[in-house]
Amino acid sequence: MNQIPLSHILFVSTALFFIGMYGLFTRRNMITMLMAVELILNSVNINFIAFNKYLYPEKLEGVFFSLFIIAIAAAEAAVAIAIIINLYRNLHSIDVEAADEMKF
Amino acid sequence: MNAILLSAVWGIVMMFSGIFTTSKTAIRNVAVVGLVLLVLGNYADMIGYHLMTVNVHKMLYFDTFGLLGNLIAFGSTLLYVLLSGRDMEKVGHHLAEYFALIFFVLCGVAIVTTFNTLLMLFLGIEIISIPLYILTGADKRNLKSNEASLKYFLMGAFSTGLMLLGIAFLYGATQTGTFFIDDLWSGKTAVTPLFMAGLLLLLVSMAFKVSAAPFHFWTPDVYDGAPTVFTSFMATIVKVSIFVGFIRLFDEAFGDSQEKWQVFVAIIAAATLFIGNVTAVFQQSVKRMLAYSSIAQAGFMLLALLALNGVAKEGIILYAAAYSIATIGIFAVLIRMKDYTFEGFNGLARQQPVLAATCTIFLLSLAGIPLTGGFFAKYYMLSSVVATGHYLWLVIFAVLCAAVSVYYYFRVIQAMYFKDGDGATEAEPGLGFKGLLVVLAVIVVVLGVWPQSLLGQLSRLIYTW
Amino acid sequence: MIPVLLIVIPLVSGLLGFFLRSEKTARGWALLSSLVTLAVTLWGVGVDKTSPLLQANVEWLPDLGSRFAVGLDGLSLILSLLTAVSFPLIFIATWRDQYKRAWNFYALMLLSQAGLLGVFVATDALLFYFFWELALIPVYFLCSQWGGERRIAATFKFFVYTFVGSLLMLVGIIWLYFHTPDHSFSMESFYKLRSTISNSDQTWVFWLLFVAFAIKMPIWPLHTWQPDTYEQSPTATTMVLSAIMVKMGVFGVIRWLAPVLPIGTWAWGDTVSVACIIGMVYASLIAMKQDDLKRLVAYSSIAHVGLMALAIFATDQSGMQGVMIQMFNHGINILGMWIVVDLIERQFGTRKISQLGGLATKAPGLAILLVIVALANVALPLTNAFVGEFLLFSGVFTSTATQYNVVFTAVAMLSVILSAVYTLKMIQGVFYGKTNALTEKAVDIRLNEKVALGVIVVMIVFIGVYPKPVLELTKDAADFILTKMNYK
Repeated sequence: MNQIPLSHILFVSTALFFIGMYGLFTRRNMITMLMAVELILNSVNINFIAFNKYLYPEKLEGVFFSLFIIAIAAAEAAVAIAIIINLYRNLHSIDVEAADEMKF
Repeated sequence: MNAILLSAVWGIVMMFSGIFTTSKTAIRNVAVVGLVLLVLGNYADMIGYHLMTVNVHKMLYFDTFGLLGNLIAFGSTLLYVLLSGRDMEKVGHHLAEYFALIFFVLCGVAIVTTFNTLLMLFLGIEIISIPLYILTGADKRNLKSNEASLKYFLMGAFSTGLMLLGIAFLYGATQTGTFFIDDLWSGKTAVTPLFMAGLLLLLVSMAFKVSAAPFHFWTPDVYDGAPTVFTSFMATIVKVSIFVGFIRLFDEAFGDSQEKWQVFVAIIAAATLFIGNVTAVFQQSVKRMLAYSSIAQAGFMLLALLALNGVAKEGIILYAAAYSIATIGIFAVLIRMKDYTFEGFNGLARQQPVLAATCTIFLLSLAGIPLTGGFFAKYYMLSSVVATGHYLWLVIFAVLCAAVSVYYYFRVIQAMYFKDGDGATEAEPGLGFKGLLVVLAVIVVVLGVWPQSLLGQLSRLIYTW
Repeated sequence: MIPVLLIVIPLVSGLLGFFLRSEKTARGWALLSSLVTLAVTLWGVGVDKTSPLLQANVEWLPDLGSRFAVGLDGLSLILSLLTAVSFPLIFIATWRDQYKRAWNFYALMLLSQAGLLGVFVATDALLFYFFWELALIPVYFLCSQWGGERRIAATFKFFVYTFVGSLLMLVGIIWLYFHTPDHSFSMESFYKLRSTISNSDQTWVFWLLFVAFAIKMPIWPLHTWQPDTYEQSPTATTMVLSAIMVKMGVFGVIRWLAPVLPIGTWAWGDTVSVACIIGMVYASLIAMKQDDLKRLVAYSSIAHVGLMALAIFATDQSGMQGVMIQMFNHGINILGMWIVVDLIERQFGTRKISQLGGLATKAPGLAILLVIVALANVALPLTNAFVGEFLLFSGVFTSTATQYNVVFTAVAMLSVILSAVYTLKMIQGVFYGKTNALTEKAVDIRLNEKVALGVIVVMIVFIGVYPKPVLELTKDAADFILTKMNYK
């Protein structure tokens, strides 16, 4: 069986992680930032499944962990959307720069 | 196990209590009953009585350290609700939901203090965090609160991402393919670069959660923006519980590779102490000052993480109790104040001698003056590091920072006692409120005269069952 | 038993004092309590040195290796006696001072007495540290609440100074604790450390402890908090600070530093001695330039305490005994000085020497008493300070711990001459010369001040003429400390 090596998959997931991080720090649109967070979480999912498949093929722990991550990510997204909607009601904008009540 | 069950069930009970009654007093009473049950339930766990036997497949491990941490978290929450429960009504209309969220946070706390696999740690942290995002934004019409909630969410989600990446790395590094934290010990797992990367990512993400420098920058804004009642909850109970989990993780999982990561903790601790204390000096608002002070206190608690010996674990429990109780007390007074700046406290001693006197005891405790619990808390932290025989520079640095902390804590005392002003509270505090403050102050002093009353007797009870 | 009473009486009466609601009652209550404390102390002085009444040792923190251990030996007896004598005198002398919410004032005074006595009787290092800090808190409140105009800033400086010092001391104590073989804070365990700690460790741990004591004494260059604090504090508190609290530093060195780390003490002896001498001369020179009476006395106190510190590091029998006696004498004398300053300030509303003059004709009683106190301050023969300073100088001169003993003695002597200059200048400026509009209407001193000053003068002359009882009280303690300080 001509498998793709583990390092390739890890490369993809790391790239996704940093794309997510980049998005989180550069985007000013709240929805896009939320998407960036999801990207980070999903890159980790890939990691878990890749490790599970390649290193411990007889076990399923990694897959279960990624299931938990998906569930939690959904919960987080729900809360985040609620927060964003609430901000939108007050600010009429979903640009984070508009939320500048507090300065460091 | 009792605590996890009870807190989850009571969270749901609280949600429904909002449907069945509109009486705020009734809702508050239900919450108090729940907390009392929680404390008793956790205590029952300690003496070996379990509500039901659940096979957790070693994913949770109920040891003395974690259960004691729980007990302190639940006890402080009980005191907190008794003191400040009435002030939650001012935040919004959904009193029952706020209590429900608090119970869900406590469920997370109970998991974080007793986890035995990285999966449980992750779940516990998230069960704590998600309700807190909501509580932070609970004041829906207030822009500051919304903004704080968004910031908290973004930073929280990002640090969760880091934690998950760390866990994934560790998962790849173990040869067992499980998440049990004792599988990470040497003998089972080699210290490879992948392992170290995972360890450091976990360290960073946990440092985020306990707001240790340089990952603290979200803290002042979030604590400042959140409704003050919930700031009090976040800065005390949640923070120290995560600390208990933090120490548990590094003790059980990475205890043997200690010398490899100790230096990172030392740097983080020094930075936290420095930034927390020095920045707190420049604050004009007492609420923001307390936010920075909570960073500074986290710096002290990190000393326990650095040392990770018996003294440290005992000490962190004492620190958790002393710090939580004192801070809850100060916040309870702060919530009642008209003006949150230092000037707002001017002349409080004249108007409200009881509030001022108890506040002084809490502040002295935070500053670490003898005869208060804060002294022994700091004493344990310092001696745990001295006992390791290294890092004496950090100990000396820490005490110098503690001396700086006197500046901002005593500014409140000076305002209350030595400056003239009308330091008014919003409404005349009731007798019960004052009485409770006195009870808190007495607890702080008892911990300061005889810390063994907490540590010794409790551990004796636990070991003899 | 007796040491426990010494702590408990002022502590309990102080706490009860907060609930009194009349100035008169509070004042009487404080005086009564301090007299009871004095009686108990005299009882302690009277009983046999080996009596179990002088010791108490109760379980406190078994897991930490700390016990509630208190005891009275010659050293702690003389300082407890000083504390116990000073407080009633302070209360009597300031009987007519008015305070807002006086009950709080007197309660805090009693609490500070409890803290001070605790420091002197503790024979457990952690307990010692406990009281060391506790003595500070009431004084902080006293000065900040009832002091002068710049009181908040001045007191805060004082507090931060001493707090930094004591925290470093805490680190030192913890470090020493982990090096005791039986992990205990008891004095016995600490005294055994000398043989187990290496020389190089002794030399740096010395500073952790010494900084705290040096700040409290204070030794140049750590003295800058002192004149400000003395000036800004209410006089009664200044008396506590200068008569008793500075002795905490000297006491700390004798009890907790020199015998525990003899090598470190010896190694740094010359350095510290030079600092002491610089401080003595420097403080004396500044005192000469002072126009403000309070600041003058403050600087003179720095000079006197410097001499005591110098004698400790000389490691000599007569020097050590001189320190113990001089601590008592200096406390009594400076108390007298403060009472006079307070009297003058209250009568004329000023402390400037340049604005006063000719009081001797208007208030002869005051003048006589002041002259005696002032002469004692200069250490003239037949006064108590002469006995003390003579022993101190002979100790420094014959010291074998340093090779510069002659130089030290000579320069230290210079400061004594300077002290004569500024003291006599002060007497001249205040009591002789022409009267002016301000001093014309001076009245002589009243009964309460007469009593307080009278008692002080009697003690000055009595010890000056017949020092034997005091010497006997402290002899054993001095010898004991010296055997522990043996650095060879």
